[in-house]
Amino acid sequence: MAMADLIVKERSAAIGVVTATDEVPVFASGDRIRIKNRTPIGHYRVPHYLRGKLGTVDQVIEPVAVDNEEEGYGRNAGQRLHYYRIVVPLTEIWADYVGAAQDGLYIEVYETWLERIP
Amino acid sequence: MSGQHNDDHGHDHDHPHAEVGATGRPGYYDMLETAVRELLIEKKYFSAGEIRRQIEVLDSRTTALGGKVVAKAWADPEFKKRLLANGRAACEELGISFYDDTQLIVLENTDRVHNLIVCTLCSCYPRPVLGLPPDWYKAKPYRARAVSEPRAVLAEFGTTIPDAVEVRVHDSTAMVRYLVLPMRPAGTDGFTEAQLAELVTRDAMIGVIPANNPEGARV
Amino acid sequence: MTDTAHLVTRLPNDIGGLEAGKIERTDHTLEPWEKRCHALADVLDFHKILNTEEKRCGVEALGAEMVGKLSYYERWIVAFSNILFRKGILTPTEVALKMQEIEKRWDAQADGPERVI
Repeated sequence: MAMADLIVKERSAAIGVVTATDEVPVFASGDRIRIKNRTPIGHYRVPHYLRGKLGTVDQVIEPVAVDNEEEGYGRNAGQRLHYYRIVVPLTEIWADYVGAAQDGLYIEVYETWLERIP
Repeated sequence: MSGQHNDDHGHDHDHPHAEVGATGRPGYYDMLETAVRELLIEKKYFSAGEIRRQIEVLDSRTTALGGKVVAKAWADPEFKKRLLANGRAACEELGISFYDDTQLIVLENTDRVHNLIVCTLCSCYPRPVLGLPPDWYKAKPYRARAVSEPRAVLAEFGTTIPDAVEVRVHDSTAMVRYLVLPMRPAGTDGFTEAQLAELVTRDAMIGVIPANNPEGARV
Repeated sequence: MTDTAHLVTRLPNDIGGLEAGKIERTDHTLEPWEKRCHALADVLDFHKILNTEEKRCGVEALGAEMVGKLSYYERWIVAFSNILFRKGILTPTEVALKMQEIEKRWDAQADGPERVI
């Protein structure tokens, strides 16, 4: 899927199409990311147990959508970015995790909560 | 205010609720709901008919719909491919309309992967296709523990997943909803879709138990 | 030197990973008012008066005690009221007076057929 996103960008460039701001997802399936560690007050949808955790993008969710933290305050329109389905190993989240090493947690996270890690 | 309906929703209601007030004075929240609704209707924000219609919509969404989706996926490999590619579109093929903006991702259980669905922050659930979630799904113990000790939670439901099988816990937080496609039980060759659908329970589509075996219900 | 920041920064519904007991396999058939309340939420959403995320935010804003002690739909209807007040769609006085009217209506009907409104 990472390759597919590059292909979209290349194809757009090749045919002279300029994609709109935020139209193409920033992250692609397979990208290694960190869920940021900020601590908002008020409405949020990134649970505490995932703050600062390292994971991988499993899937890009389409289409772009409003930030649900702002939607909670009545914003039904405005800037829209992508949500990404992220997978985080359960052993990454819980130091004392009892289970298999490959068990994983899947969650949708808004683009503003993610940063790429090398 | 007497007659307050302060039930802890952990016990069963064994008295019928055929009509409002049929069995006792409405409680505080019942009257609050009526007040808010009647005022909004008076002010023409919506009609009483719309509320009645939406109650019918909700009543029509039951576990049986999910069972039909699963049964068809078991019986029809092309439908299964479409279902796994776009859960909402495949449900809509069967006439299961989605009255909200949610998407549906269907998660296939295999002999290598077992999926479990939870909403730690609230009660996200694929309502258009399964109806309303059970109380335990919305309560603290399940929501708190499904993401930290999924195998222990599964064991409480009588489900043991071998270590060689990967457990995937899906915490719904945004606009995607999830449905587990349980493994097709053994001994069901030649079953009709209707027969297959009978083996599929709500809890199997949440992922806490497998589908039922044909001989009889699993405890 | 009590640190109260955690009360502010962690929402009462953010319970993933916290200690919790056995899962009680409870369920109940919805009462008529609860079903009406759910339908109300959906109809308000269809009309873009109150979306799902606003509802969640409204429930969170009730605070830990109410979130812990009110049942699921009780939390919803109180949250809706607060949001509708803030948006200027309803006022607390209107709702209070309407509730009194509903109580009177019920009491009159309960007194017998000759008192039907």
